[in-house]
Amino acid sequence: MSVSNLLENWSQVRHEHPVNDKPHDPYKWAMAIDLDACTGCNACSVACYAENNLPVVGKEKFQHGQQMHWMRVERYWDEDGREFPDQGFQFLPMMCQQCEAAPCETVCPVAATNHTADGLNSQIYNRCIGSRYCSANCPFKVRYFNWYDYPTTENVWPAEMTQQLNPDVSVRGKGVMEKCTFCVQRLSAAKVTAKGEGRIVREGEVQTACQQACPTSAISFGNIVNPESRVHKQWAAQQVELDKDKQAKNEKEEGPGLRGYRILEELRAYPSVMYLERVRESAV
Amino acid sequence: MKDIREDIAWAKINQDVMKSLENPRKLYWVILFFALMAFGFGLGCEVYQYQTGMGVANLNNPQVWGLYIATFIFWIGMSHSGTLLSAILHLMHADWRKPIYRFAEAMTTFSLMTAGLFVMVHIGRLWQFYYALPYPNDRGIWPNFQSPLLWDAMAIFTYLSSSVLFLFVGMIPDLAIARDNMQAGWRQKLYTLLALGWEGTDRQWRNFRVTYLTIACFLIPLAVSVHSIVASDFAMSQQPGWHVTSFPPYFVAGALYSGCAAIITLFIILRYVFKFEEYMTLPILKKIVRLTFAIAMVWTYLNAVEFASVWYSHDQVSKDVLIQKMTGNYSPFWWGMIFCGSVVPLVFAIKRFQTNIPVLFATSLLLNLGMWLERWMIVAPTFSHGYYPWTWDHDQWPSIVQWGMVFGSFGWFTLLFLLFCKVFPSVSMYEVKEMVYHRTLHLKKSETAEQGAH
Amino acid sequence: MSKRHLLALYSNFDEAEAVVRELRNTTINGFDVNDDMIVKSPIEHPEVEEFLGDKPVYVQWFTLFGALMGGLFGFFLISGAQANFYMQMKGGKPIVPFPPNFVLTYEMFILGGVFITILGFLVCAGLPAKRSPLYSAKVSIDNIAILVNAEEAAISVLKAIFTKHKALEIQEEAGK
Repeated sequence: MSVSNLLENWSQVRHEHPVNDKPHDPYKWAMAIDLDACTGCNACSVACYAENNLPVVGKEKFQHGQQMHWMRVERYWDEDGREFPDQGFQFLPMMCQQCEAAPCETVCPVAATNHTADGLNSQIYNRCIGSRYCSANCPFKVRYFNWYDYPTTENVWPAEMTQQLNPDVSVRGKGVMEKCTFCVQRLSAAKVTAKGEGRIVREGEVQTACQQACPTSAISFGNIVNPESRVHKQWAAQQVELDKDKQAKNEKEEGPGLRGYRILEELRAYPSVMYLERVRESAV
Repeated sequence: MKDIREDIAWAKINQDVMKSLENPRKLYWVILFFALMAFGFGLGCEVYQYQTGMGVANLNNPQVWGLYIATFIFWIGMSHSGTLLSAILHLMHADWRKPIYRFAEAMTTFSLMTAGLFVMVHIGRLWQFYYALPYPNDRGIWPNFQSPLLWDAMAIFTYLSSSVLFLFVGMIPDLAIARDNMQAGWRQKLYTLLALGWEGTDRQWRNFRVTYLTIACFLIPLAVSVHSIVASDFAMSQQPGWHVTSFPPYFVAGALYSGCAAIITLFIILRYVFKFEEYMTLPILKKIVRLTFAIAMVWTYLNAVEFASVWYSHDQVSKDVLIQKMTGNYSPFWWGMIFCGSVVPLVFAIKRFQTNIPVLFATSLLLNLGMWLERWMIVAPTFSHGYYPWTWDHDQWPSIVQWGMVFGSFGWFTLLFLLFCKVFPSVSMYEVKEMVYHRTLHLKKSETAEQGAH
Repeated sequence: MSKRHLLALYSNFDEAEAVVRELRNTTINGFDVNDDMIVKSPIEHPEVEEFLGDKPVYVQWFTLFGALMGGLFGFFLISGAQANFYMQMKGGKPIVPFPPNFVLTYEMFILGGVFITILGFLVCAGLPAKRSPLYSAKVSIDNIAILVNAEEAAISVLKAIFTKHKALEIQEEAGK
């Protein structure tokens, strides 16, 4: 009975995450993106389209803001009085930040988006009724809604392109929300293999599509619990802690002198993606 | 200015109200026709959207909520004044509410039903709507009780069912009157069924009084909680412009405001269409107008508090949203809201206009336009100027499908409301009698007192 | 011992009150003023309750019970369901968070209260009711009716009292 279940597991149902909590064990997937290495080539975005069966909506719907790029490369520039202000702009690849305390999860009326045991922000397409509250409450606006029934829409996947659809990923129908999953299909496959061999997934054994496609290796991805992983080392070197909304290094008077930061950290969503700031002339 | 006469025969009250069930003025059919057209158009839009996908509403990322949610809040808000008239004024023994509370209560019910429609048309997979209901199932899957949307659903369900029951219980004595005065036919059968065998016995009245009072007591905190919860949809989120502590009282004030304005509009229409000049008198209208004016000023104050607290908090993101509302693409609508919501009600402060029907009619419509704009200006600007710079200046203009459904909802509401007024007595007969009786007693008392003085 | 109904109509409350007072003060064989008399009126009139004497109303106990049950049921349904949902964590919040559950408990409290009050009303007022043997549609206009149920022997006494207080009309149930 669920009420007895409630009483028996009282401490468990009342515990809060991630502050003052142990990290996910044995897995907590996390990412680090070095903006200094990013050239803005958009290969990550294309790889994501291919890997995750993203619909290509076409010019007209793109103009309406109905594009489905889970991984988008944003451009920013300083308005410092140059003749061509966008000269020397910088890039920021943006995808779901897989927050540890995601604002989207609490507001979903049907519990279609949840926090998984390996630290992902999951999305259950079958459960989604399309209230779009998750997107409304997402500070990063990285959730994409199926405004049309794309699989049956013409030219979303032209005839010859259907051959490249990924059989490991379901195709979403109209009216559901979707977003970056950290290529959860690859993670699951790797975990199953590892489990069969009685070990946990090794560093480098699994890559996300964007990471794989990045020509400058700007993206690193892995299990942050594993001290051997590159992503763990990067986070540690940059002194960015997962369960903090204010990093201790920023409290120092002389400034951190380190490049690592998380976007909108102060909102206490505890994102799992760390960015490494670009080394700029103005910053030197 | 004529008020209700205290020497009016009780039989005439019955006759006049029963007549409204039979032959309204021609305008009734004209309004009904236009309401039907509007509803039909809205229905067509919904069918198209259902078949094609939400994209036809011209929503996008980040503007995932459009007019649907704004209009949803509008209709929820409108429902609150019915409760104000029927429950709060009942507890305060304000007799003047008696001739008009029935239609206000019906307005509550039907505007809630209209708001419910917007929940439906808004969601992407209407066919899976039942996922949001907490029904036991063998997989142990439940909706997410943390979501303010679920609180909404629960609050609206409670409010709607309580309002319907309150409306029904309050109508039982009138249904008995209708049963006794109607020739045989489907109507008489209906009234006989619904009157539950009411005969006005002392036992029935005694329990009726306590029941009515009890439900009124429940409805007041309920109404407040409903709109606070709707405000929580926004205040509980993290977005700038929404995450505002003063939202719940602000929403409740806005709700009472638009509801009172709607009561004025419907008062004037019903009074003419059903020839209720004798019961919906100008002194009563004057009282509502003054009440509306007071609420308008409360709303204006809370609006100012919200802006001031954003401004002085130095929360830069929220401040940017506010500046963008005032100066950005939405500025005509935002200033329109300020004009309609805070300047136009000043008309009500002028005594000459407090009983001038054409002026009041136009003003009440403008007030509700302002209140609708207010809801839109709460929902939309945050999307085009949120935390994340990528979302900035993605403007979105609602498509004809969205507008169609907004107009359709007015048609649907009018349709339900007019049908109700034609089938059920929209002026409470037994309570008008009570009102008249209390006045006679009062007169008698003062006469005796005068005689005693001599 | 056969009983018959008698219905008298009055045009105002004062007359009806006088009748009721007289009936209460006179002992009539075969007629019990507390059980055998019903006053019907077109409006809710608190004075009727006064001159009829204290008669208890139990609706509020239904209300109390309904509201408490609604609240308790709401809280445990919600908390139980949350604990049952694969203990799924959301947004860094506890699996059973109190603020949202309080909001829903509050709503369920009111819902239970209102529903059971209505049920209590129907039970206490005896609705839906069968129509009583004597009824005049004039009660739904402006007359106050006094319905009595008495032994054959008492009928004439009652009739005399009714007539004395200027009854507009007296209806009689046909004898068996």
